[in-house]
Amino acid sequence: MTALLSIRDLSVRYRRDGIEVAALKGVSLDVEAGERLAIIGESGSGKSTLALATAGLLAGGAGIGGTIDWQASQFQTPRSVAPPSVLPDISPARGEIGSSAAGSLAATQEIGEGGDDDLISPLAGEMPGRAAGGATERRSSAIGDNNIPLLGRDIGFVFQDPSSSLDPVMPVGKQIAEVAHTHLGLGWSQSLARAKTLLERVRLPDPESALRAYPHQLSGGQKQRVAIAAAIAAGPKLLIADEATSALDTIVQAEIVSLIRRLVAEDGMTLVFVSHDIALAATLAERIAVLRHGELIELGEVHRIIDAPRHAYTRTLLDAHLGLDAEPLLDRQGASA
Amino acid sequence: MTVLAVSKLSKRYRRGGKPLAAVDDVSFEIGPAETLALAGPSGSGKSTIARLVLRLLEPDAGRIEFEGADFLSLSGATLRARRARLQMVFQDPLAAFNPRATVARVLDDPLRIHGIASRAERPRRIAALLERVGLDAGLAARAIHEISGGQRQRVAIARAIATQPSLIVLDEAVSALDVSVRGQILELLLDLQRQERISYLFISHDLGVIRAVAHRVVILDAGRVAESGEARAVIDNPQSTIGKALVAATPKLNRNTPP
Repeated sequence: MTALLSIRDLSVRYRRDGIEVAALKGVSLDVEAGERLAIIGESGSGKSTLALATAGLLAGGAGIGGTIDWQASQFQTPRSVAPPSVLPDISPARGEIGSSAAGSLAATQEIGEGGDDDLISPLAGEMPGRAAGGATERRSSAIGDNNIPLLGRDIGFVFQDPSSSLDPVMPVGKQIAEVAHTHLGLGWSQSLARAKTLLERVRLPDPESALRAYPHQLSGGQKQRVAIAAAIAAGPKLLIADEATSALDTIVQAEIVSLIRRLVAEDGMTLVFVSHDIALAATLAERIAVLRHGELIELGEVHRIIDAPRHAYTRTLLDAHLGLDAEPLLDRQGASA
Repeated sequence: MTVLAVSKLSKRYRRGGKPLAAVDDVSFEIGPAETLALAGPSGSGKSTIARLVLRLLEPDAGRIEFEGADFLSLSGATLRARRARLQMVFQDPLAAFNPRATVARVLDDPLRIHGIASRAERPRRIAALLERVGLDAGLAARAIHEISGGQRQRVAIARAIATQPSLIVLDEAVSALDVSVRGQILELLLDLQRQERISYLFISHDLGVIRAVAHRVVILDAGRVAESGEARAVIDNPQSTIGKALVAATPKLNRNTPP
């Protein structure tokens, strides 16, 4: 199989209350083209940071080291890029960028050995006294390059809370159409027609009137269907779902998981499914990566991870799962009814 | 003997000008040291029932009997006194507490307000409460926002037991916790129940958790009771449409090797 993504020695550091926190520590991982990979872990494991870094969504204040190779086209020579940061820095740590820049400059030089011209430091534009124009120029030329994944076109991203990822004052049809218009170069009427088809594909009842609906008129599950439609509107090769079903109730969660499974199969997409729930991950993924405290501690086929975990922490997670076949805690304690 | 008896409880909201039955003719009882779980999808009325039982909302119809008294008829000082016996723990303790307050302050409030301990005695009581929920007494001086989510939920439980309640309403109290922490908090709740004979109204969307800790379960759908009974019997063999759907939608691990 071909690796769609090769992540090598990825490290991400944030500053929080003036203290540097390592969110990811030297994570290396291949995402195979066409596979469904689950990334699981508890809070602080770095699972969402990994998803955001892959999509180039890390805030500017983060110090990033390592490489993410995107080999979307096997006919072109893959090139190494540092994860691009396309978001303006809106983190509360902004005032501390001056002091964090020194640390991340070192990281940039480290990865610079791989091929300096292709590297984009997310901090480059923020560094005082540095030629910000040069960095911006490289960044824009890099985004135009087919070998560097572009969020929306190459990577679709679904967040946990559709209420904050959807624009509350724009009809949902337009939000989906905008993705097709921007990335596929379609005209507005074609883009809206595509939005309607997508609303049908995500099984929204009455897609015609849903086009004109605003997010607040939809239920949580319906909003997540819209967010998924927008994420896949430009036909991305990779779909990243970051705790995309965690805010939904059990029944809606199961519906969204089966929707994701169907869409990924129909479009031949690669899926990265980030979750805290190992049982949920196991129902959807072919492989599971287990993260803890920013480190990748175990990676393998779902059945191998579940039936024969190699790492004690993976076993702890499995044992902590309270399934419908688990021995009730009431019995274990010998409490009386 | 029952701690809580809810009968024919109803509450309607108006949504978009149309009346919506959030809770519709719901009845159940909870005995001493018993855990009754409320399960159901979003909008089934679980949390509305919790708020009605806590009298954070007033019902349109129905009766709530708590410790043998007509709870809905109480007001003023009698209501406040009775409220000490009925406590609550919510999903997100950070939202329930003033984040700037210290742990000691959060625990001092109920002891002071309900006149449980004198000013001089309270620091010792606070230390004992922290110890009871498995926390170091040294945590008392820390701010709520500085401690971990699991520690915060232990503080919420310590505050709930400070007034020696007979019933605690747990509204998705373990839903936001990491699985490794969740198990410890559930063990703590079961231990408190055994030691102090506390009853729980345990609200959760997670049938696996309910099956692990509840004696009985009420499954709700659109504000009505769809089915109820012994927790394991209902979840292992649901009869209602919604019960079957909830069980089918619960992710299964299907481990082939015993742990």
